[in-house]
Amino acid sequence: MHTVEISHLAKRFGDTQAVANVSFSVQSGEIFGLLGPNGAGKTTTIRMMLDIFKPDSGSVRIFGGKLGLEQKRRIGYLPEERGLYKDQKLEPTLIYLGTLKGLDKKTARRRLTSWLERLDLDEHRHKKVQELSKGMQQKAQIIATLLHDPDLIVVDEPFAALDPVNTRLVKEIMEEQRLAGKSIIMSTHQMYQAEALCSRIVLIDEGQTVLYGTVDEIKRNFAGNAIVVKGQGDFTHLPGVLETRQHNGTWHMSLEIGSDPQTVFSTLAARKGVKIERFELAEPSLDDIFINVVQKGATQLEASHA
Amino acid sequence: MRNFWLVAKHEYRRMVVRRGFVIGTIAIPLGIVMLVALGILVETLSENKLPLGYVDKAGILDDSPSPPLPDTAVHIQVRSFPNEEAALTALEGEEIQAFFVFPPDYPQTLQTHLYYLAKPPSDDTWDEFNDFVRLSLVSTLPDEIQARLLEGPSITVQDIVNGREFSNNDVINIILPLAASFLFLIATMSAASYMLRVVADEKENRTMEIMVTSLAPGQLIGGKAAGLLGVTLTQLFIYIMAVVVGLKAGVGFVPASQQATVPWAYLGVIALFFLPAYALISAVMVAIGGAVTEMQQGQQVAAILNLFFLLPLFLTPVIFNNPAHPAVVFFTLFPATAFLTISLRWGLGTIPAWQLSLSWVLLVASVFLMVWAAARVFRAGMLRYGQPLSLKAVAVAIRRI
Repeated sequence: MHTVEISHLAKRFGDTQAVANVSFSVQSGEIFGLLGPNGAGKTTTIRMMLDIFKPDSGSVRIFGGKLGLEQKRRIGYLPEERGLYKDQKLEPTLIYLGTLKGLDKKTARRRLTSWLERLDLDEHRHKKVQELSKGMQQKAQIIATLLHDPDLIVVDEPFAALDPVNTRLVKEIMEEQRLAGKSIIMSTHQMYQAEALCSRIVLIDEGQTVLYGTVDEIKRNFAGNAIVVKGQGDFTHLPGVLETRQHNGTWHMSLEIGSDPQTVFSTLAARKGVKIERFELAEPSLDDIFINVVQKGATQLEASHA
Repeated sequence: MRNFWLVAKHEYRRMVVRRGFVIGTIAIPLGIVMLVALGILVETLSENKLPLGYVDKAGILDDSPSPPLPDTAVHIQVRSFPNEEAALTALEGEEIQAFFVFPPDYPQTLQTHLYYLAKPPSDDTWDEFNDFVRLSLVSTLPDEIQARLLEGPSITVQDIVNGREFSNNDVINIILPLAASFLFLIATMSAASYMLRVVADEKENRTMEIMVTSLAPGQLIGGKAAGLLGVTLTQLFIYIMAVVVGLKAGVGFVPASQQATVPWAYLGVIALFFLPAYALISAVMVAIGGAVTEMQQGQQVAAILNLFFLLPLFLTPVIFNNPAHPAVVFFTLFPATAFLTISLRWGLGTIPAWQLSLSWVLLVASVFLMVWAAARVFRAGMLRYGQPLSLKAVAVAIRRI
């Protein structure tokens, strides 16, 4: 049984079609990436999944059925719009949120102590939330998400406001949760984070599912769409190349779908003043794939409008 | 249900520890106590304690010293003078504060002449002298008749349908509805202010998504309203206790209060209507808070809607003069105006049982409907960060989010 099954979700706000047709499923023991550019419909999809918005069409099944109060208790949600009672002290706030998820006060307090210690917030437990830094508030929000030991964890941009040390800590926590058999849905537009953590992803653009599958499978499908070139001369503005980045003296190029690396090589070789020392096909990063797919979508949209 | 009480408890604790609540709760009774104390102080300091004099040319007064009547607060000594000259000398010598002259034809005319220098005797002194005269006039009669005459007339009207009695001594029937109206006014204002504050807090803290993924919107709104009801009841309890203590302390100063009895039936009806009326106001305020983006905007809309709830106060003369008027019956049945109309009508008459029952049913039904609608508007409004809801959007939210 899948933990989450989303099928053909659609939602419109006035004249804006926020989500047009999104489908995916999430299994237990995996970190699933819900990816897409800003405004793609990721957060709206999550909100429909969690019954915050009602979808116009499509269906959502959580833990094999409809989302009721019992199922809600098994979900931990870190929303994009962070929210804690700012004028209240950290400890009672988190205990209150834990008890709303079904914990008794004693258990909530015991678990909270260990989380506060782990996330280095123990000495701030009696401070008001508004007295904490942004990063601390983010960690507090992560505790609120995990305190009741949920089976489904939904995190929207979990690394926002975190420094590298805390980012690593949160990644470790997510990995631990995955190993404990929890289902984790991570929404982000930071592709490298998704690449490092997720086993499967769905990429949404303009409210539609444009990519869906395991990260390895997707990368394989896009192999040949990225090349690495080393040499001297001008490597920019090449036909068939979507994006060119220089890193440590090496040029990374994302190719348009259907673009032939041999043609790119010939064009480069024919270019005056260019000396090629290395030219190889690279496994594309999720970043490359993201840019490729999203830019292609934008081009198609422009063409349809023209 | 567990979550409902958790939210209620949380909201109650959050509110009662606020400085504003503590100051507001203590300041009002304290202010009243200080005003009353100031009044008593001024009254006591300005009270002229000099004896009153009289010249009895009609020969009707008993000049032996008499005990004060039980309902008198101050006892002023009364001195008899053989003639006006002697009394005038005593007045000019500041031995007495004033004197009355009872002319020979007093039994026919019931007219007296009062002499004083700068200031006439106070009302209390007048009352005491009246008591002295009444006592003297009846002193030769048998004790039973004396007692009955001093008691004065007492008219009791009984409703032949439900047996309820109204007495001219029963001032509490007038005072209580007005007091209840005043307390309802405070409760209405508190509800508006607290609920708008709560909604504004929830918006400001952006906790809505966390909350709606933990509990049902009805539990959230209901719990908040219950918590705030607790806050208001705490405040009202403190105010009422202050009034009760004040009345107990002042019972010696207000003779009518000694005969007053507690109208339990009235208090029962009031209690029955107060809770749903308060819940209705709270739900309306939640809906307003959810639909607007700024507290100030919410307060403006709330102030206009509050007028609906307080409309019966403006119609008090009609309610008192013609309680069976169709408009009054309408306000009795209309949920927003039911509490105040019933409260005011109860003081001076009886309300048919069918009106009471129907009014309560309509009120409770409207509470359920309003809480349901408010929860939806609140939820929709909360999720539209920084954007107000138009009336159309409110209608859509009520139908579906």
